[in-house]
Amino acid sequence: MMSTARVPTVNDLRVKLCYICREEEPYDAIREGPPRAWTHPCNCTLIVHEACLLDWIQSAQGGSAERAQNALKCPQCGTSYEMESRKPLVLDVLSTINKVLQRAGGVFTLISAAGVIGVMGSGVYITLTAYGAWAVRQFVGKEMFDMLLTDDPSNWPWTAFLNLPLLPLSLISSRLSTSPTLFPMLLPIVLVWPPSPVAHQWMHHEPWHKRDRPHSPRLRGWPPSPVIFGMFIAPVVKMIYRKLLHRVALHIFGANLSDAGRSSRFGLYLREGPLFIRFRANVDARPLADDEAIAAAMNGHLDANDNDDPDADANPDPAPAPVANAPANDRPQDPNAANLMAAERLIEKSASSLGRRIGGALLIPYISNMMGTLLFRISKHSHILREFLGIKQHRRLLNGLPPSVYAYPSVSASTGAVGGAAVGDGLKKLGQLLKYTVGNLWGGTKAWAELDPVWWRNTIGLGLFVVAKDCLYLAHLWLTKREIESRKIKTKDFSGVDIKELDLVPSFPILSPRPRRTSGAEIASRAFRQVDTSDGRRD
Amino acid sequence: MASIAARRLAKELKEIQTEGCPVGINLVKADNFELWWFTIEVMGESQYKGEVYTLQFRFDGQYPISSPAVQFVVTEGRQAPIHPHVYSNGHICASILGNEWSPVLSVTAVCVTLQSMLASCKKKERPIDNDRYVRNAPDNPKKTQFHYDGKCCPALIAYSIMTDMGSAITDDTV
Repeated sequence: MMSTARVPTVNDLRVKLCYICREEEPYDAIREGPPRAWTHPCNCTLIVHEACLLDWIQSAQGGSAERAQNALKCPQCGTSYEMESRKPLVLDVLSTINKVLQRAGGVFTLISAAGVIGVMGSGVYITLTAYGAWAVRQFVGKEMFDMLLTDDPSNWPWTAFLNLPLLPLSLISSRLSTSPTLFPMLLPIVLVWPPSPVAHQWMHHEPWHKRDRPHSPRLRGWPPSPVIFGMFIAPVVKMIYRKLLHRVALHIFGANLSDAGRSSRFGLYLREGPLFIRFRANVDARPLADDEAIAAAMNGHLDANDNDDPDADANPDPAPAPVANAPANDRPQDPNAANLMAAERLIEKSASSLGRRIGGALLIPYISNMMGTLLFRISKHSHILREFLGIKQHRRLLNGLPPSVYAYPSVSASTGAVGGAAVGDGLKKLGQLLKYTVGNLWGGTKAWAELDPVWWRNTIGLGLFVVAKDCLYLAHLWLTKREIESRKIKTKDFSGVDIKELDLVPSFPILSPRPRRTSGAEIASRAFRQVDTSDGRRD
Repeated sequence: MASIAARRLAKELKEIQTEGCPVGINLVKADNFELWWFTIEVMGESQYKGEVYTLQFRFDGQYPISSPAVQFVVTEGRQAPIHPHVYSNGHICASILGNEWSPVLSVTAVCVTLQSMLASCKKKERPIDNDRYVRNAPDNPKKTQFHYDGKCCPALIAYSIMTDMGSAITDDTV
């Protein structure tokens, strides 16, 4: 019977044995209950109840992926089972979606973590940018701000998104790295400009004050261009001012002010390194130095061995020690200079909180705006001041033209229709390449000339503010120094002290030999026990 | 149908009683269909020559869909063999007891596999993380998810104790 007419199937076996439940079913058995379906799913001799196998597969699929994989093939020959099931496209899609979602869930966890950081970061960024825009607006005035940036950030060139947030940072860092009391930064806000879109504009139209004289009859290159001012004039002015201030101080105090670098603790400490050193130094090291300097000032002279500064040496923290040492080592030999330094330290001690510095730095644009406004008000009464500040608003108001309306027609008139259109575009989208290409053709420098140079009077105002602040500082310093110099300890007589405890000169007239208060005598005797002469007398 | 487990175990027990166990393996007790004990001994030359260990099988109602919980007995003066895949509390890290369990395997097949696992051992030593594992190990070795290092030669590199919730889920699905 080896005919191959028919390939045997599971139903042709004499005894069927399920490899899972191990139930046997002879072919001639009398079935009890409903018949159970048999299956031969692989290429070997194993056969199995379909229900058992499905149970096993289903159970294994609930476990690990590896287990599920194992259950889907024959444990003996390794043939993969072919399963048929009602698996409409929808189910496939749903399962796929489920898998995708599962994976997406993990990604989401990552993204949300990154998102939290991002939101915080962008919050900081937005704050910084908003501050930068506010500062520019304060400094250059609304009119110029509207022309350069406008209130709508979508008009801003991309450089604005770099420069504006950097502005507060540079203000703060400049405040932390130079002498806080002598030279608040007039410069940084101007120096931040050149890379900014504002400055690009200026760069290209730098020669406006030379070129367009006929168009601006009153101005003739005054005030100077912000770039020229920021790059060349301001540093020179600052240097001259600094020297002048030192000379004035020398005249007043008869001694030099300490160097900006040294008297600025934050500059020094920032360079020292990590934050805690700064704080530590603020708390510990500095008062030591201060007290010592004051003590030295009161003595009016310095002992040579005092230079070792034992307090600073005893300090276990190595980092602040050199700082604490510094004032001791280069302490001026001149008592006058020592007094001055002591006074400077006294003032600085109560003027060096971080918040004060940062807050002060961030207020600079506002202060300059206020000062500029003040100058503007005053200029109404002074023609010379008006000329100096290059104020044009009066004239414009006379003409009855709002600034923008006045500026734009003159632009298009001088460059022609095409150029004018391009410029109009460029004006709207500052920082675009287009702007630069047409920049040279742009007669719109007139527009600049026509704009009220708010920045100029603000700069002057800030300068005046700085001068006023430094004068105030010098006055404060002078008063403090005078206070230190005039210090005396009030001396008292020996009333209340037992007269017998005192080793008096023989010529002292003893009027009342009797001690008046024993308790007072007790204290006095304890206090004077250490004095040799007193001891001698007691013996 | 818990009776599937009972019927299959009855059948396996009957086979053992009629045909006998493989060499080196002896049934100690099988009073019910939940807990069976065997002694196991490695025949021939091996690290464990002359040593007899006791294997314990615990079956749940889902056997053979669900694998039996197999471990060496370490009570009543019995010891677990010192082997890189056998912890001192008797738990065994073998893939056929976990991921690679198949209903085609039987109790005696498991015994024979573990016997050959011992026989092939080159050096008697405990798993590296024995102390740490034994300190935290659950009573039932099936609640430990061993990570197998290779197919035929299960090695334990790391494992994780399933949480109560996790094991409950597994028990339901298995």
